[in-house]
Amino acid sequence: MELPKARGGGDRPLLSVVDDDESVRESLPDLLREFGFAARAFSSAEEFLSSDCLDQTSCLILDIAMPGMSGPQLQRELKRRGQEIPIIFITASTDKTVPPRLLEQGAIECLFKPFSDTALLEAVNSALHPR
Amino acid sequence: MTGSGKSGNNFPLEASTPTGTAPLESILCTEELHRRPSGPPNYEKENRALVKLVSTLADSPATVLQMLAETILEITQCDSAGLSLLTKDGKTPDVCGQRFYWPAIAGMWNPHAGGGTPRNFGPCGDVLDQNRTLLFRHFERRYPYLQPVAPAAEECLLVPFYVAGEAVGTIWAIMHSDRRKFDAEDDRVMASLGKFASSAYQALMHIEDLKFQVSRREKAEAEVRELARGLEAKIRRLVEANVVGIVMWNLEGAISGANEAFLRMVQYEREDLSSGCVRWTDLTPVEWRRYDDGAIADLKATGIFQPYEKEYFRKDGSRLPVLLGGALLEGDGNEGVAFVLDLTEQKRQESARLYSEERYRVVVETASDAVVSIDDEGSIVFANPATATIFGYEPAELAGKPLTLLVPEYMRELHQAGFKRYLATGQRHMNWQGTELTALRKNGEEFPVEVSFGEITRDGHKTFTGFLRDISKRKQAEQALRRSEEFLAEAQHLSHTGSFSWRVATDEITWSEQLYRIYEIESSVPVTLELICTRVHPEDLTLYEKMVEEARNGGNDFEWHYRLLMPDHSIKYMHALAHATRDQDGRLEYIAAVQDVTARKLVEEARDKARSELTHVARVTSLGTLTASIAHELNQPLSGIVTNASTCMRMLATDPPNVDGARETARRTIRDGNRASEMITRLRALFSKKSATTQSLDLNEATREVIALSLSELQKNRVILRPELAHDLPLVTGDRVQLQQVILNLLRNASDAMSTIDDRPRDLMIRTEPDDNDRVRLSVSDVGIGFEPQAAGKLFDAFYTTKNGGMGIGLSVSRSIIERHYGRLWVMPNNGPGVTFSFSIPCRPEGLADAETPANRTDLSADAA
Repeated sequence: MELPKARGGGDRPLLSVVDDDESVRESLPDLLREFGFAARAFSSAEEFLSSDCLDQTSCLILDIAMPGMSGPQLQRELKRRGQEIPIIFITASTDKTVPPRLLEQGAIECLFKPFSDTALLEAVNSALHPR
Repeated sequence: MTGSGKSGNNFPLEASTPTGTAPLESILCTEELHRRPSGPPNYEKENRALVKLVSTLADSPATVLQMLAETILEITQCDSAGLSLLTKDGKTPDVCGQRFYWPAIAGMWNPHAGGGTPRNFGPCGDVLDQNRTLLFRHFERRYPYLQPVAPAAEECLLVPFYVAGEAVGTIWAIMHSDRRKFDAEDDRVMASLGKFASSAYQALMHIEDLKFQVSRREKAEAEVRELARGLEAKIRRLVEANVVGIVMWNLEGAISGANEAFLRMVQYEREDLSSGCVRWTDLTPVEWRRYDDGAIADLKATGIFQPYEKEYFRKDGSRLPVLLGGALLEGDGNEGVAFVLDLTEQKRQESARLYSEERYRVVVETASDAVVSIDDEGSIVFANPATATIFGYEPAELAGKPLTLLVPEYMRELHQAGFKRYLATGQRHMNWQGTELTALRKNGEEFPVEVSFGEITRDGHKTFTGFLRDISKRKQAEQALRRSEEFLAEAQHLSHTGSFSWRVATDEITWSEQLYRIYEIESSVPVTLELICTRVHPEDLTLYEKMVEEARNGGNDFEWHYRLLMPDHSIKYMHALAHATRDQDGRLEYIAAVQDVTARKLVEEARDKARSELTHVARVTSLGTLTASIAHELNQPLSGIVTNASTCMRMLATDPPNVDGARETARRTIRDGNRASEMITRLRALFSKKSATTQSLDLNEATREVIALSLSELQKNRVILRPELAHDLPLVTGDRVQLQQVILNLLRNASDAMSTIDDRPRDLMIRTEPDDNDRVRLSVSDVGIGFEPQAAGKLFDAFYTTKNGGMGIGLSVSRSIIERHYGRLWVMPNNGPGVTFSFSIPCRPEGLADAETPANRTDLSADAA
C-alpha cells in the first residue's frame, strides 16, 4: 500500500483523532499507526484547537457528539479559520439523516461506529488523495 | 245375544225392517194346518191338564205360567212351548210395553226363558197385528235376531191371548225337526189354552196389584212412624237444648213447668217453680198486661196466639225483653205451652243501630262538604249546614227547591234530562263517585265541585244523597302544579333526562314522561323492575341486578352507567344518579335522574379512539428514541472493541508479529466489552428511573385518585370495582406519580384479564392494608383468565406478555418502580378464578431519594443541529 506524505513535514502523514470516548482514543491511533500513519488523539474539540497539531494534521477523524464543542461545530470553526483539513466523521448515532448534511459541508466520509478497519483505511486514503 | 239368554234384557230395540230379509208371507204356512191330516182330540188328557192348571193357579199362582208352558208341551207333543208377554221393563207384564218377554218356556228352549222379541218386528207382534193364530216356518229367515236362539225352529204355532179385549201376549209351540207337523187339532188345543192363559194373566196381575198396594201402605205407615218419631225428638231436643225457653202454664196465671233456658232468663230456681209461687202474671210488668190480655183472648178464640214482644221481670227486678208465642194444649182448654226468646241481644243491636244513625247525623251536620238529599222529583229534602258555607243558601231555604238551583242555568236541562232518564231506565248519565261538575253559588258565582252520591229506596220511592265538595282551591293548585310539571317535562325533554322514584319496600316505581320516551315504552304501562330488565342490555343485566340488590340494602346515593338494548337493536347509553330519601315512616325511597348520554358517549368514544391512536404514536416515537439512545451508548464501546480487535489482528499478521502490541489491544478489547456490559446496566437503570421525587403520601388517597381516573374505563368494561381501603393505613414515602402508575397498571391488567369473562360478574377487588414490619400492602384481585403456573416466573420480564395486544412492558416497569421503593411486587393465583397482584413497600425507606441517583447522564441531544 502506498502511503501518503505528511502535510506539514515528517515522513508519515499525521492523523488526528478527536473523540470524547476514551476507548476510541486508545484504540484508533494504534490502528492508524499499524496502517503506517502518525496519529494523535484529543479528548475534545477545544483540546485539538489549542494544540500545535492543526497545521501538521493531514486528516481529522472527528466524533460528532461530544460534550462542549461538537464535531460539526469544530468543522465550522476550522473552515472559519481557513484551516482546510480533510475530515472523516465518526459517530455512535444511528441517525441516517446526519451524514448527508455533513458531506454537504465538505466532509470526506461519515462512518458509523463500530466500523471496520478497511472502511476506515478507504476513507483515509480518499482524504489524503483527493480525486 | 239378541233374543235369548237368562238375563232377559237383551232385547233388540230396533223396530224397523232390515233390508234384504225374507218377506213375512214366505215364512207363514198357516193355511197348511187345515190341509194336514190330524189325529182325534184327546179330551181326557186335555181335561186332566186343565184341572191341574186351575189347581196350580189357586195354590201357587207364581208357577202357573211355567205350568201352562209344560201343559202345552205335553198336549201338543211339541219340542218347545212357552209364553210371550208385553212388558216395559223386561221383567213384569205391562200391556203398554213395546216388547215381549218370555216369562216361561218348557222343552228344548227352556234355557232361553227370560229372553224376548220386539213388539213391532217379530212373530208375536205379527200374531197380535193379525189377531189370529199363525204358523211360522223358519221365522229366523225374516227375524235374524232369532238365528242364535238354538236349536232353530222348524215350525212355530203362535196363538194370541187377550185380557179385557186387549192383546197382551201369545202362547206358542215349536217343532225343531220335521218329526211331526202341527195340524188343525193343535190349533184347537192352543186356542183353548189361550183362553186359560188369559185368566192366568188376570189372576197374576191382580196378585201383583195386591202386592203393590200392600207394599205402598207399609211404606206410608213407616213414613208416618218415622215422622212422628222425628217430631217428638225435635220437640224434646228443643226443650232440652235450652236454646229457647219453654214454659207450661194455665190461663189462671200458674206456671206448671219450664225448661232450664226459661229459668236462666228469669233467674229463678226450679224450686221456686215447684213451690208454685212463680206466676206469669206476676212476672209481667203492668204496662205489658194488656198485651197478655189480647193473647189470652186469641187463645180462647183460636187455641193459639201470635208471637209478640213484651217484657218480664227477672227475680232481681230487672227487666228482660222477650218474644213470646204459644198454644193451648188439647184437653180441657185451660193449659198451654209457650216458647220464650230472649231479645236482649237484638235490643242491644237495635240501640247500637240507633246510635250509629245518630253518629252519621253528626258527621253530616259537621261535615265541611255540602250534603244534599233530593227525592225522586228532584226536589231538595235535606241540606246540611255546610251547604250554607259553600252555596250561600240556608238549609231551610233550600227545602222543596229543585236541585238544579245549585247548577248554572245552561247545565240545568242536561241534569234534568239525565235524572229523568236514570229514573226511567236505570242508566246513569255520569259517574256517581267523584265526578267534577260546575256548581252555582247563591251570589251567581260558578265554581268547580266534586260530587259523589248514592241512592236509597224506601217504600218504592228513591232518595238521592250527594256530597258536594268545593274544589276551586284544589283546582288552582292543580293548575299551578300542572304548569310546573309541564316546565319540568319540557326541561327533561330538552336535556334527555328522565326521572323516577322507587319505593323500595313496595317496589312502587313512578316514571316521568321523558323516561318512558327514553325507554320507548307506552306511558300507560305500569313500571316494574322486571319491565326495566327487558330493556337493559343483556351484558349489563348482572350489573343491574347487583345495583338493585345493593340499593335495596344500602340506602345510599348511587350512580351508575348502563346501556339499553332497544327493540330495533340500537344501544342507548344511560347515566343514572339516585338520591336516597326516607318518608315519614322511615321507608326507603330513591329519587333519581336518568340521562340519555348516547350522543355524548359517541363523541367520547370517537375522542377515546383518537386518543388511543395518539398514545400509540407516542409510544412508537418514544421507543424509537429509546432504541437510538441504547444504540448510541452501546456503539461507543463496540466501536472500541472492533477497532482494538482489528489492530490486534494486524499486529499479529506482521513479521515478526507484534505480540506485545497485540496483547495490549486484546486487553483493551476485553475492557471495552465489560464497558459495554456496564453501559447496558446503566441504560436499564436510566430507563426505570426517570425523575423521581419522593414525598410522604397517603396510599389510600393515591389509590382513590387512580380509581377516579379509571372508573369510566372500568365501567365501560363492565367491571364491578370493590375498593376495601384500610382506615388506619400509615403514610408511606415515595414517588406518588410512579406508585399511581403501578396501581393503574395493575387495575388495567386486571380489567383486561376479565374482558372475555361473561359467565360471572367481573369483580375487581382493590385493597390496602398495613403489612408486617412497618410496611403497607396493596392488592388487586380479579376473577379473570389467570395464567399458566409456568408463566408466573416470566410475567415480570420485560417484553414478556400473555396479551395479544399488549407490550408487556408494564409489569417489568411496575416491578422496577416498586423495587426502587425498596418494596416487592408479586402475584398469586386465587382460590377461585383469577389472580391477585400485590405489592408491599416500607413506610420509611432510608435514603430512598439518593440511593440510586443515576450516574452522570449523557447528553444525547447536544449535536446534529
